[in-house]
Amino acid sequence: MQVQQRSQASYAADHTARIVFLICAALVVLVIVAIFAFVGANAFKVFGEGANVGTFFFGTNWDPTGNGGFTPPSFGAGGLILGSIVITLISVVIATPLSFGMALFFTELSPRWLTRLLQPLIEIFTGMPSVVIGFFGLVVIVPFLLRLVGNIVGNHQTAGFGWGAAIVVLLIMILPTIISISIDALRAVPNSIREASLALGSTRWQMMVNAVLPAATTGLATAVVLGMARAIGETLAVSLVLGGSSLPSFKNLLAVFFQPNVNITQAIANGFGEAIGAASDAYYTLAFVLLVISFIFVSISRYLASRSVYK
Amino acid sequence: MSAQQAVQAPARGNERVEELKRIVQRIEVGNRIGVSVLWVIAAIIAVLFVGIIVYLLVQGAAYLFVPQFYGTSDAGVGREIFNTFYILILAEVISMPIALAAAIYLIEYATQGALVTAFHFAAETLASVPSIVLGLFGVLAFSISLHLGISRIAGALTLLCLNLPLALRLFESALASVPRELREGALALGATKWRMIRTVVIPSALPGIVTAFILTAGKIIGEAAALLFTMGLNNPSNVFTLDPSIASDTLTTHLYYVAGPGAGSLGLTTAQETTITAGSATLLILLLLIINLGARVLGRYIERRVTAA
Repeated sequence: MQVQQRSQASYAADHTARIVFLICAALVVLVIVAIFAFVGANAFKVFGEGANVGTFFFGTNWDPTGNGGFTPPSFGAGGLILGSIVITLISVVIATPLSFGMALFFTELSPRWLTRLLQPLIEIFTGMPSVVIGFFGLVVIVPFLLRLVGNIVGNHQTAGFGWGAAIVVLLIMILPTIISISIDALRAVPNSIREASLALGSTRWQMMVNAVLPAATTGLATAVVLGMARAIGETLAVSLVLGGSSLPSFKNLLAVFFQPNVNITQAIANGFGEAIGAASDAYYTLAFVLLVISFIFVSISRYLASRSVYK
Repeated sequence: MSAQQAVQAPARGNERVEELKRIVQRIEVGNRIGVSVLWVIAAIIAVLFVGIIVYLLVQGAAYLFVPQFYGTSDAGVGREIFNTFYILILAEVISMPIALAAAIYLIEYATQGALVTAFHFAAETLASVPSIVLGLFGVLAFSISLHLGISRIAGALTLLCLNLPLALRLFESALASVPRELREGALALGATKWRMIRTVVIPSALPGIVTAFILTAGKIIGEAAALLFTMGLNNPSNVFTLDPSIASDTLTTHLYYVAGPGAGSLGLTTAQETTITAGSATLLILLLLIINLGARVLGRYIERRVTAA
């Protein structure tokens, strides 16, 4: 009798535990659905409050509060979107070959003792607080760029801030991301592929370029896509070194990169706090744009991962 | 066959050998160049990374020894340090049990298939949401809809969303590393699944669980963008309470505000601003290094204890 009661109690506990675990797992799904629902529900309000879709995506005058209420508000986020695209693309284009090189070195060439030193270094940098890198950009990269291009650009007060500095900062932030995912992709390539290539008389370099890299293509592509996802959403590091409130003039194309400039995340970080009404709805629209872009990136990376041969 | 051909044959053979030698040489040179390029890239990146860490540690190290730095006035970051650890504990207390429970469900209960794939897709999507977007979501969902306002609890709930995917992945790999034989042994002895998880799986997965705990702590300490609008940038007159309903800033958001939008408008001298920004940056790096090393050492220590017992 007692035994029966005890076993009943333990089955009840087992059942409860199972339900609690299921609820917690469902919470993950609930959170992401809620994010799309909440941000999405507020993303389209602004188009009924004075903004139209054309000027929102292609206009370049971003002033949703209307200069604090003195002028009619203007919702032209084209400049912000352009900024995000430019700095993301350029930083990823620079980071990709460097990361692949580093990952190849790490998996194929590095002696054991060096691997043991590099591994924690990359891990630490993957978790580097973005605001600290932003601070580094502010005190080192911006003054450096100012000295480098100050004379070409002219404007001595503010030269150095801008896309150029943002690209360098983003580079520092996404290198560890792309490197560590690339390392995983290269490690997933079985040794038999390397041995087969070497046995055919390849040099190490030929083995890497003609056997290992092609075998890891999808994994490496995933690394780049996730690097882009990180770059487009990076906020504080970028906003500290962008330092602008509107697009600079495009008369001197080189100078554009070294003058205070804008992107989406910086606009949100600087403007959302004081925004009310239509203005804050405009920032929700920007957030939704970021959300959709990063969702597209994740979907691409999932698709690539599902196609990869070695996992 | 003429005599002429017989004479020419060795000469042609020589040519062939010469040609092969050239090809081999070219391949060898290509190999050497390729390998050196990789060494150079690795060296540049390693020097860059080490350089940044050393620079950040050194540039503000002096400020860490100034008592003023830890002061509770506007010129110090005493309040921000307290807030950082307060929000760290609050966020970990909320998010760790949930993440662990979700991981247990996915590893121990769910049948591998469409459901688990859907969960992982959700977690990956959540992981890729930019933290500033999470911050705005936090404002909408917690500050406005749940009427929590700009408060520590709203910040902690936002950090829960931020932390779930990373914690889930780390917990999952910790649980998955427990060998199947242990589970089968427990089940064969008549234990229910829950009892098996409690007494066999979790103790064996402890090193991984502790590591996950510490690594997520690092992420919380370094996070700022998600907290800008959910926890605010200002402090009430007394922050040294456990009240979760008050607004407060952290080391990271304060560093951002003093270095960025608030620079020159906070009534601080430039020297005081530098003390705060440079000191905070060094302190954050130091915490991060300690956390990373701690995760390694503690994980290894527990592993030794558990496997020895």
